[in-house]
Amino acid sequence: MADAMNAIEVNHVSKSYGKVRALDDVSFAVRRGEVFGLIGPDGAGKTSMFRILCSLLLPDAGTASVDGFDVVREMKQVRRRVGYMPGKFSLYQDLTVEENLQFFATLFGTTVEAGYDSIRAIYSHIERFKDRRAGALSGGMKQKLALSCALVHQPSVLFLDEPTTGVDPVSRKELWEMLGTLRERGITIIASTPYLDEVRRCDRVAFLHEGKVQGIDTPENILKQFAEVFNPARPISSAPSVSYVATESQHTEQENAIEVKHLVKAFGSFRAVDDISFEVRRGEIFGFLGANGAGKTTAMHVLTGLNQPTSGTGTVAGFDIRTEYEQIKRHIGYMSQRFSLYEDLTVAENIRLFAGIYGMKDSDIKQKTDEVLQRLKFEDHKNDLVRSLPLGWKQKLAFSVSIFHEPAIVFLDEPTGGVDPATRRQFWELIYEAAARGITVFVTTHYMDEAEYCDRISIMVDGKIKAIGTPDELKQQFQQPDMDHVFTHLARQATRTS
Amino acid sequence: MSPFFSFILKEARHILRDRRTMLILFGMPVVLMLIFGFAITNDVKNVRTVVVTSRMSPQTQAAMTRLATSEYFTIVATVPTPEEAERLIRNQKADISLTPYPKGNQWHITVDGADPNMAQQWSTYAQAILTGSPAAAPVSIKLLYNPQMRSAYNFVPAIMGMLLMLICAMMTSISIVREKERGTMEVLLVSPVRPLMVIVAKAIPYLVLAFFILIVILLMGHYVLGVPLAGSLVWIVLVSVIYILLALSLGLLISNIAQTQLVALLLSAMVLLMPVVMLSGMLFPIESMPRILQWIAAVIPPRYYIQAMRKLMIMGVGINEVLNEVLILSAMTAVLLTVALAKFKVRLE
Amino acid sequence: MLKYLLQKEFLQIRRNAFLPRLIFLFPIVMMCVIPWVMNQEVKNIRVCVVDNDRSVRSQQLVHRIEASRYFIFTGQQPTYADALHTIETSEADIALVIPPDYSKGHGQVLIAANAVNGTKGSIGSSYLSQIVGASPSTAPSTTIPAGPSTAPSTAALSTSSLSTQNVSSAAILSQPSTLTLYNPHQDYKVFMIPALFAILTMLMCGFLPTLNIVGEKEAGTIEQMNVTPVPKWAFILAKLIPYWLIALFIITACLVLSWAVYGITCQGPLGLVYLLAMLLALFFSSLGLVISNYSDTMQQAIFVMWFFVVCLMLLSGLFTPTRSMPDWAYLTTYVNPMHYFIDAIRTVFVRGGGFEAIAHQVLALALIGLTMATWAVASYRKNS
Repeated sequence: MADAMNAIEVNHVSKSYGKVRALDDVSFAVRRGEVFGLIGPDGAGKTSMFRILCSLLLPDAGTASVDGFDVVREMKQVRRRVGYMPGKFSLYQDLTVEENLQFFATLFGTTVEAGYDSIRAIYSHIERFKDRRAGALSGGMKQKLALSCALVHQPSVLFLDEPTTGVDPVSRKELWEMLGTLRERGITIIASTPYLDEVRRCDRVAFLHEGKVQGIDTPENILKQFAEVFNPARPISSAPSVSYVATESQHTEQENAIEVKHLVKAFGSFRAVDDISFEVRRGEIFGFLGANGAGKTTAMHVLTGLNQPTSGTGTVAGFDIRTEYEQIKRHIGYMSQRFSLYEDLTVAENIRLFAGIYGMKDSDIKQKTDEVLQRLKFEDHKNDLVRSLPLGWKQKLAFSVSIFHEPAIVFLDEPTGGVDPATRRQFWELIYEAAARGITVFVTTHYMDEAEYCDRISIMVDGKIKAIGTPDELKQQFQQPDMDHVFTHLARQATRTS
Repeated sequence: MSPFFSFILKEARHILRDRRTMLILFGMPVVLMLIFGFAITNDVKNVRTVVVTSRMSPQTQAAMTRLATSEYFTIVATVPTPEEAERLIRNQKADISLTPYPKGNQWHITVDGADPNMAQQWSTYAQAILTGSPAAAPVSIKLLYNPQMRSAYNFVPAIMGMLLMLICAMMTSISIVREKERGTMEVLLVSPVRPLMVIVAKAIPYLVLAFFILIVILLMGHYVLGVPLAGSLVWIVLVSVIYILLALSLGLLISNIAQTQLVALLLSAMVLLMPVVMLSGMLFPIESMPRILQWIAAVIPPRYYIQAMRKLMIMGVGINEVLNEVLILSAMTAVLLTVALAKFKVRLE
Repeated sequence: MLKYLLQKEFLQIRRNAFLPRLIFLFPIVMMCVIPWVMNQEVKNIRVCVVDNDRSVRSQQLVHRIEASRYFIFTGQQPTYADALHTIETSEADIALVIPPDYSKGHGQVLIAANAVNGTKGSIGSSYLSQIVGASPSTAPSTTIPAGPSTAPSTAALSTSSLSTQNVSSAAILSQPSTLTLYNPHQDYKVFMIPALFAILTMLMCGFLPTLNIVGEKEAGTIEQMNVTPVPKWAFILAKLIPYWLIALFIITACLVLSWAVYGITCQGPLGLVYLLAMLLALFFSSLGLVISNYSDTMQQAIFVMWFFVVCLMLLSGLFTPTRSMPDWAYLTTYVNPMHYFIDAIRTVFVRGGGFEAIAHQVLALALIGLTMATWAVASYRKNS
């Protein structure tokens, strides 16, 4: 039987939600032991495809089989053979790391000990937190734990829906090395990802767009064929951004948008932020990098006045972070890791709400709303509920809202997590525009190509800043070819064991 | 460890880690029992009395002293005119006013009728004391099962009916819907574990919890409030088990319908709590309701459970006398469980 | 700034698939159904008779029971034991045993009532004894609704208060006349409809704000709010105001329905009813926000809220008179806003009292409400 070679067969599958056609006559086959990529922009139908293959959804038309079993008729057989990590995999927040892992291990009929080899590379990063509740982990660490939970057993087919969103580059590499060893054991893997380096690690990829398969081929061919989608040119800054040298010459104390000295934030005995000092100059795009759990989000919370520092001093926009945090809030914009707009309000209503909060006048709001929507090419969606927009659009909108009141500084916490390359590029154009208007941008990211776009970056490891400077300086300093290597070099030094 | 036990362990941890909810779950029965056992009474006591003194005679004076020394009435004021007395009642300074007629020991009683039952009792008591004689009655009255008229006898079974329903149905449904909302349900469904087992394992810790609470209520009722456990304990527990199963199936049914915790919460509050409190005969007698509401009350499960418990615990009858209730409860459980399991979705929408 | 926050709250309520319907339908349905339910009037009591006399007189007695609107005659039983059995199987609530010599005027009629539900047992038996007592030959001219001998604590009453007095001196006197004020028809709905105002305000203004803030916490939008310069009071006020308006709507709907459906109208000034409802809404919406500020999950918030609501309601005098409570329980009514509200609303709505009649309740409600609101603002932390 020729079919026996195929772990997965999908024939003319369609699926609609109401009027929206999520999948439209999709067909492909995956060979046994293959690493198969499912790529495409948000809303292309990837998650629907995964769910159909896991027998969670019924296709409207067409057939699909996994490991030779039909996903509709032979649901039990399918479920016994597959492993699935959904896109928004959620852990039990009130169970500890270890309890979560143990639970999922027994769920799949194995033990943590038996499956330890297949998760070692990732689990070792979080093992030291094994008695902490999952709810208290940082976003990236949760993702790692979720991955560990999904990989602890060895199914014959493994489905991973954007497994690395929010995971730092070093851990991503380790994950894919691990997937490589799973593949050698004959496990078929289907994964979706927005990262190009991960796409290249697949044997073959299918490019989905608006529910249709646009092409199935090797990664190189697909990336070449759809270059305009996957390899957008470096975003063009609309005005020359403030260069490091230029600000150096006119450097005065007032020129610093953010100044931090010996900042410490401790939770109990755990020093999440451990004595960091740095400055961010006015008008600069400052990249704030670090591995998951290095303390980036905590530091950002202290800077934005959400948390009080344990010790150390700092000013943001000239105001003290200890005492004048309410004034700070007047002069900053913030876009959090979790999606931060009200999903049940429309685009225009969200803008109006946040602009109003910052005390803008009604007439100004109206005029500027039109301007912004025009720039985003959003005019048609002005009265759409935010809930109904694709992720990339929401992120662009959230950013526009966070700088709508022209703050002195805008803080962006992983603004492009899980967003496809083309949209990321548009997003960075928006960042450049904002910087050109004199807004200081403070951004965290796990995309190393984005790190290159920053004027200056810092790299945090274990709560401390290990390196700071322009991307070129850092590459020179650590004698590495690109930022990816610089980051890997530094992050691998992490030893934190509290 | 088998997946089944690992499931139960996980669920038990969810319950135990949420300290506040645990506190409420165990604090609620205790507080409710204390309130119903001690604080909520319809006794005639401390009735604020105002006396119109303009036309006092020696006899009325004597009757008034009698009234003042009784524990039922407290004379809060003496006023010259009936109008003044009425003003005091209106302003909530008094509940009842007594106006003597000029001659003999004759009285006019004016009572605040806002609460009809209490108004009637107050005036009856006042009459008895003022006239000084319980009329030689041609009847003897025997109050069966509860000669001291303790309200706890009535309420303890009702509290059991309400709390078991709340814990089993509401908490089970919320915990299932929470997994749907958070996305963990997808993983559980795709795992090799059978969906039915997921649900059964989820229900077991709540069953144990409900049992604990049942025991707490029974112990407190018996030793603190002095409620008798006249019937067979075995049957009390058995009927409770049927009822708990029924509540669990209701919870499961709700979790099938609701997509978010908010909806599950509101549904259980509206569909379960309200009817249980209002229509189960817990606070208000079903016989006094209009016919249509009596029909609705007839399909409310706690009604039968509360009735069965009252009979078994307080009246101490054998199982034959509650056969009716037990059969109805069993039939409801069977139907609800079948529907809930049939409706249980093994796929996403 | 407040304007924009308010706009957001209203839009969110409106967009919700469930809330507008709930807010609109819940009070209406409750007003139409619950007054019929909240009826502690005792009627339709099932009586079975053991007639040991079998005379014309005893037949007449049975006919009188059948004719009464309080009783349902369920049939004759041969012996007292059989009658008891019908009580055990809940086929009957009361057994009436007629003695063999009843027609000759000897012997006592025995009324055995199921008193598991004390109120029903005692009131039922007192009604029944009234019917027996009204029997032409035996009773003199007792027209008292419920004879004192049937009142709950008969023994206590006659021994403690009356034994000290010379009974014979009083026995000759005629019965007092009784006037029942404000509720001459002894309609339970008059008593319960104001209570329903309280319950509805409590449920809608208590639970909805609780869900609101915890909901924002779970969605993560509250973090975004916390980095904006929104003052704490503005954020809290924007959350509270919609629920006050909802309270206004509820009260209006209740007043209209109580007039249209039950023909019961407010005896006192309407403005006071609104004032009281606003104050109660202030308290409960603030309580809801305080609880949600301290809660992490919706389930937790709801359970804690539910606990407080049940305790406040039961100890407020809504169903039973507060003055009958033991002292420790009565002390709690001094801090129970529900108690002040119930007292005041019944004064205004049923008794027709004016402002001076409820001044101290209004003051107490306002004080408790403002304290709660201050706590709500204080417990909301933008910076930790």
